[in-house]
Formats: sequence, C-alpha cells, structure tokens
Amino acid sequence: MSKYEFNDILSVVLRLGVVISIILLATGVALIFMMHGADGYSIDQIASYGTGTGASSFSLNSSSLPLTGLLNGVIHLNGLYFISLGLWVLIFTPISIVLISLAEFAYLKNRLYVALSIIVLFDLFFAMLVVPIYFHV
Amino acid sequence: MTPLVTLFNFLLIVVGGFSAGLLGSLTGLGGGTVLVPLLTIFYGIPIIYATGASLISTIATSAGSASAYVKERISNVKIGIGLEVATTAGAIIGSLLAVYVYDHRLQWIIYVLFGAVLLFSLYPTAQKGRHEIPPLKKPDWTTRIFQMTGVYYDAKLKKDVHYNGVKWWAGEIVMLFAGIISGLLGIGSGAMKVLGMDWAMNLPMKVTTTTSNFMVGITAATGSSIYWYAGYIQVFIAAATAIGVLAGSFVGTKILVRMSNKNIRWLFFAVLSFLGVEMLLKGLASNNSFVTSGTVRLALSALTSVILISCLFLVIRKQEAEDVKV
Repeated sequence: MSKYEFNDILSVVLRLGVVISIILLATGVALIFMMHGADGYSIDQIASYGTGTGASSFSLNSSSLPLTGLLNGVIHLNGLYFISLGLWVLIFTPISIVLISLAEFAYLKNRLYVALSIIVLFDLFFAMLVVPIYFHV
Repeated sequence: MTPLVTLFNFLLIVVGGFSAGLLGSLTGLGGGTVLVPLLTIFYGIPIIYATGASLISTIATSAGSASAYVKERISNVKIGIGLEVATTAGAIIGSLLAVYVYDHRLQWIIYVLFGAVLLFSLYPTAQKGRHEIPPLKKPDWTTRIFQMTGVYYDAKLKKDVHYNGVKWWAGEIVMLFAGIISGLLGIGSGAMKVLGMDWAMNLPMKVTTTTSNFMVGITAATGSSIYWYAGYIQVFIAAATAIGVLAGSFVGTKILVRMSNKNIRWLFFAVLSFLGVEMLLKGLASNNSFVTSGTVRLALSALTSVILISCLFLVIRKQEAEDVKV
C-alpha cells in the first residue's frame, strides 16, 4: 500500500460510512411514519422526549433499544432499528479509520504507531464493551 | 398529536440541526457546540438528549469533511492518531462524569460548563487565520520519535509548506482535557484540539484545523457508545440532527469559500456568544442562584453578548493592526 492509496481509502471509507448511515436514518424515519410507529410504540411515543408529566413524561431512548435486536429489527422493517443501525454505522466509521491506519502502520513496520493505534482501539472498545457492564440493567 | 404534527416537529429539528451545522462551519466552532444550546433553549429538549444528539451529529460532520481533507493530504493522519490516545481516554472519563452528573440530577453544571466552554472557545476561534503558518521551529526529541515532520500543498500560497511538530507530550495533555470536555458536554471540542496543536505543537493552521476535524469523529465515537448504553440518545432526535447538521455544515463549507466579506463572521460570533451567555445563565437559574425569569435572562444574555463581542472585535482588530506594522 503506497501513501497515495492509504489516504484515498480513508477518504472513501469516511464518505461511504456517512452516506450509508444517512440512508439508513432516513429510511428508518420514513418506515416509522409509514407503519404508524415501530416495535409496538406509537409515533407519538417515539417522538416524545419526556418533558411533560404523567404519560407524556415517557421517552424512548437508546437504553431500551438492545443491540441484540438490531438484525431482527431490520429484517422486520422496524424503523427504530433502522435508525439504530444508521447511528451505529456512524459510530463505526471513525473506528474503521483507526483500523485501516493500524493496517497501514503495520505494513510500513512503524512499530510505535502500531502501538499507538492499538491503544486508541483499546479505548474505543473499552468504551463500547467494558464500560456498559457497569450500567443499570 | 397527529402524525403530521410529529412529522412537522421532526422537520423542525432537522432545520435546527441545519442552522447549527451552518453556523458551526462558518465560525469554525463545529456543529455540536451550536446544536446543544439551540435544542435546549429554543426547542425545550432536555440537555441529556441534546448532548446525545450532538455527539452523534459531530461524528457525521467530522467524517463528511475529513473525507475531503484526508484525500487532499492536508490532515496529518499520523499526528491525529497519536493524539487520539489522549482524547479517547479523556472521552471515557468525560462520559462517565456525565453519567455521574445526570444520575445525581446536576444538569445545571452541564449548562454552566457548556456556556463557559463556548465563550472561551470564541477568542481562539475568532483569531483564526492570524498566524496561518508558524515560524519553523527547531525539531525537538519528540519530533523525531513521533515522526512529526510533514508537508502539505497550500493552494492559496501555491507552494509546499514544510513543518515540524514539537512538544508531543504537551499536545497530549491538552488533548486529554479536550476529550474530557467532549465526553462531558457531548461536543467534538474541536476548538480545544486546534488550540493544542496550534499553541503547544506549533503546527500550521491548515494542518491543525483539518487534523482536528479528523480526530473529532474518533473522540465522539468513544463517547457515543457510552452515551448509547446510558440512554442519552433519543433516536428520533438524533436522526433528525444528524441529517440536519451534516447538510448544514456541507452548505456552510461551500459558502465559506465564497464569502468575500470576512467581517460578517462577527455577526455569527455575536450569536454564539449570546448562546454561551444564555446557557451559563440558564444553568445558574436552574440552580436557583441567579435570575430565574426567562425573559429577563434573554435580555441579559443579549446585552452581555453584544458587549462581549464588541470588546473581542476591538482587541482582535488591534492585534491585526500591530501585525501589519511588524
């Protein structure tokens, strides 16, 4: 991999990540409106952000959207999971940039930067996999 | 509410995101920094969801614009990744602090900090373009070890610009704080990253801003996954703002290139300082320690921001005049 290709790959991955994500987000929103809700929630419930009292204090947020339901939700054209997938594609876009950089540094035998990219990846996955263990549930 | 009203509300948030993206890119402060005050002050969205939506939108705009800068080889990917060691660690600390703050219903702290960070970001952002290319400093030991020698082609100057980054460790320290702020407030904290690379590491402004742009996405991704599990992301709002902010900053970048009158930026800075003061006061008000009447607060924010921006304008004008003399 030459220096030339490396930057071009990064650029394409960044753009691709954004485009795919936006398409998924828009599809998800369209599905929610067409199907009058998703996952047993009404459009109102999905849109609510819980500033009211009583019934309207309800709000549906990411903690009630388990990632294990992602695949199933998308197959069943569940708008909420389309949006979730779109958001996770977005989160994974920068992560894939670090992965590609790691590959490039390994190819160039740049040990120091291989180590630094691994630390960054460790931080990213620590936030994703380890930290949540200590949350509510 | 009928679905039509909800759709209208959705589009309204998209428009808000668009304005934030536009203003964020025209001032160079980033979409998230404008989005959070906009959503909390004008839309009544709880700050917890405003910051969640902002963090997600920050990734979208960072990826969108970094794509171009990486291709043009202005961003220094190597320096960026190296500094991400500190920003990602900082983002974890910051997000956990946010969880603590929200668990204890201390929202006012977030408002006050947000206002303060926004106001403090104004000065370095307004100065932007003053020292486009810093004097080439003698490389220090970190320049060699961390391979911080680089070159980019400057289209305006029509020549290759060579540079040596120095004081890697100092950059890392600033980045740690930038990461904490990013995780705590749900913004990219690009202004602080620029500060670190510009002041501490002596990198040219173009490299600094574009590398910061590239880094912001990685930092925000770290915070986002913690925000996700903590339940700070309301997907309906986040979807709307991601689309809106991305579109807004795209248009903003196009306008920025064509904008001939740079003084118009001051109008935008005034808007930003208004948002900053308002956040600060809103935080103090919800802690019942300062003016709790909404209207009085808005008037006070407007007045303070006008004074603030006038002072900033004069100070920077004076600096520029001195630069010309030298």
